[in-house]
Amino acid sequence: MITRKAAEIGMAAMTALFGAVIAVGAREFGVGWSPSGPEPGTFPFYIGLIIAGASLANIAFAIARPGAGETFLARGHVKDILRFVGPMVAFVILTLLLGLYVATALYIAFAMVVQGGYGWAKAAAVAIGLPVALFFIMEKAFQVPLLKGPLEALIGL
Amino acid sequence: MDNLGQLLHGFSVALSFHHIALMLVGILLGILVGVLPGLGAPNGVSLLLPLTFTMDPVAAIILLTSMYWGALFGGSTTSILFNIPGEPSSVATTFDGYPLAQKGRATEALSFAFLSAGFGALSGVIIITLLSGWVQKFALKFSSPEFFAVYFLAFCSFIGLGGAPVLKTIVSIAIGFALAAIGMDSVSGSLRLTFGFDQLLGGVSFLVVVIGLFGLGELILTIEEGLQLKGIDARVRPRDVLRAMREMPRHWATLLRSALVGCWMGITPGGPTAASFMSYGLGKRFSKFRDGYGKGEPDGIIAPETADHSAGTSAMLPMLALGIPGSATAAVMLGGLMIWGLNPGPMLFVEKPDFVWGLIASMYVGNVVAVILVLATVPLFASILRIPFAIIGPAIVVICFVGAYTVGSRPFDLWLALVFGVLGYLFKKLSYPIAPLVLAMVIGDKAEDAFRQSLIMSKGSMAIFWSNPLVTTLMVLALALLLWPLLMRGARALRSAAR
Repeated sequence: MITRKAAEIGMAAMTALFGAVIAVGAREFGVGWSPSGPEPGTFPFYIGLIIAGASLANIAFAIARPGAGETFLARGHVKDILRFVGPMVAFVILTLLLGLYVATALYIAFAMVVQGGYGWAKAAAVAIGLPVALFFIMEKAFQVPLLKGPLEALIGL
Repeated sequence: MDNLGQLLHGFSVALSFHHIALMLVGILLGILVGVLPGLGAPNGVSLLLPLTFTMDPVAAIILLTSMYWGALFGGSTTSILFNIPGEPSSVATTFDGYPLAQKGRATEALSFAFLSAGFGALSGVIIITLLSGWVQKFALKFSSPEFFAVYFLAFCSFIGLGGAPVLKTIVSIAIGFALAAIGMDSVSGSLRLTFGFDQLLGGVSFLVVVIGLFGLGELILTIEEGLQLKGIDARVRPRDVLRAMREMPRHWATLLRSALVGCWMGITPGGPTAASFMSYGLGKRFSKFRDGYGKGEPDGIIAPETADHSAGTSAMLPMLALGIPGSATAAVMLGGLMIWGLNPGPMLFVEKPDFVWGLIASMYVGNVVAVILVLATVPLFASILRIPFAIIGPAIVVICFVGAYTVGSRPFDLWLALVFGVLGYLFKKLSYPIAPLVLAMVIGDKAEDAFRQSLIMSKGSMAIFWSNPLVTTLMVLALALLLWPLLMRGARALRSAAR
């Protein structure tokens, strides 16, 4: 279980870090005044400072706030979310390796058979139908090529 | 009256066979994304935008705006039938819509929602028609300091009126600005903040961010909340539609009040979500039907729906006239305008009257068509929602990633979408508002340019933001909105002290 307080602090720490990275990164491009006006780093530098400052205040509020011990995420929900996000990450990796169409077929089939409890026949129909439909809509109708992998190269698409 | 002539010309542009066909496609796609969990208007428009890059701008904007109207209607449908808001802006519709549907009056509930939404949308368009000539003259007086002041005003109104925690809103806006700053600096032309990553040279596309934050983030949230569809009979009986129509005039006060709230919130960028909640809250306090609120009172459907749609449509006015979007979806469309090579702002009305008035005319037609189309297709779309989540969820994920890839054909964008998906989920759960982030991303470069050019004009003196009555008024208004929550708290403390 994750408490609301921990989540608030974690998030604010992340945004504070992001702000600091932006501010430090911006210094490289000059944060002062030049003959042609403010230097390119000026605006991002102060934006970074604002993010960091407001985030630190958020951390302070999260620590000071009473009743922040309430549940942010229960254990059961963590599992549900991982069951959804895990395959999604795998889908992105597969897309980069095998191309979008093959990854889509594998992802849909996995979700339907393993997580949805469908039979193979139904799963195969959807898992093949969706990428085929995508292919005709995107590549044929709109002429927008999507990421392709070794299989497409093999069959010469 | 000049605007009327322009509008008639606009109708002649909008009412071609090609445009009407696009309108129908847009509305149907819009209802679809509005109905599906995870796909909302900002996200749907982002997904479709890359496909319009090669289209003529008038056709493209008609397609995208029609999709927006459809999505607004679709969002209300699921709120009423399944108690699942398809859009954040239709959350308030569930309060009375679902109870009324549970009483077996689903058709009436839907009719009230669609008719009042149509009324709200038309009031928004009428406001646009009446005001655009004036705004345009007003906006021609603008130079860099005034533009910066207006951008500043937009963000202050988010902080003051958005309803989210102030510091979190500030963080969200500033992150948007920081993301917009990555890549090419539009004043000096040099690269910045790429931290040595080649992938960041082109900057971070706001479309990918929207797809992650709104699309994937929303889906993860849906998973956590456990999607349960308790279907209600969704057949539409014409008799009930007629009954709802007859009852509408009794709610004239709520209709007018809500349309005003909506137009105000749409033009000062409070957005449709804030508008619908505010209107519901006002109705609960002031309507003569207030006793029934929360128990299935039609007035409680009419209030948020009217405001939602009038805010959605009137958000187009500041987008076109000043280049400031009044909602997240308008922000995405604004980005589209720039990609199509148009320059949003006062000159748009002068240089591209066909585009502007064609769009405005299409908004009249589109909203009327949308009401009819949505009533006719409710059963069809409700049945889509009965497809189990194990199929529809992954399919939506695939569509989101396809959308992210089509933005720039960069594999890196897939990772970005994923990261922003998780971030969007966390932001929502921790009540960080995400619409201001998107807005800041889209107008970030323009706001920064305006700021820097003002300082170049004044040789570094901030006094330029108080140098004439116009810019001073804007800045004072902005600061007043910024301090609004503090002022309200002070007033409340005084009142309770007096008691």
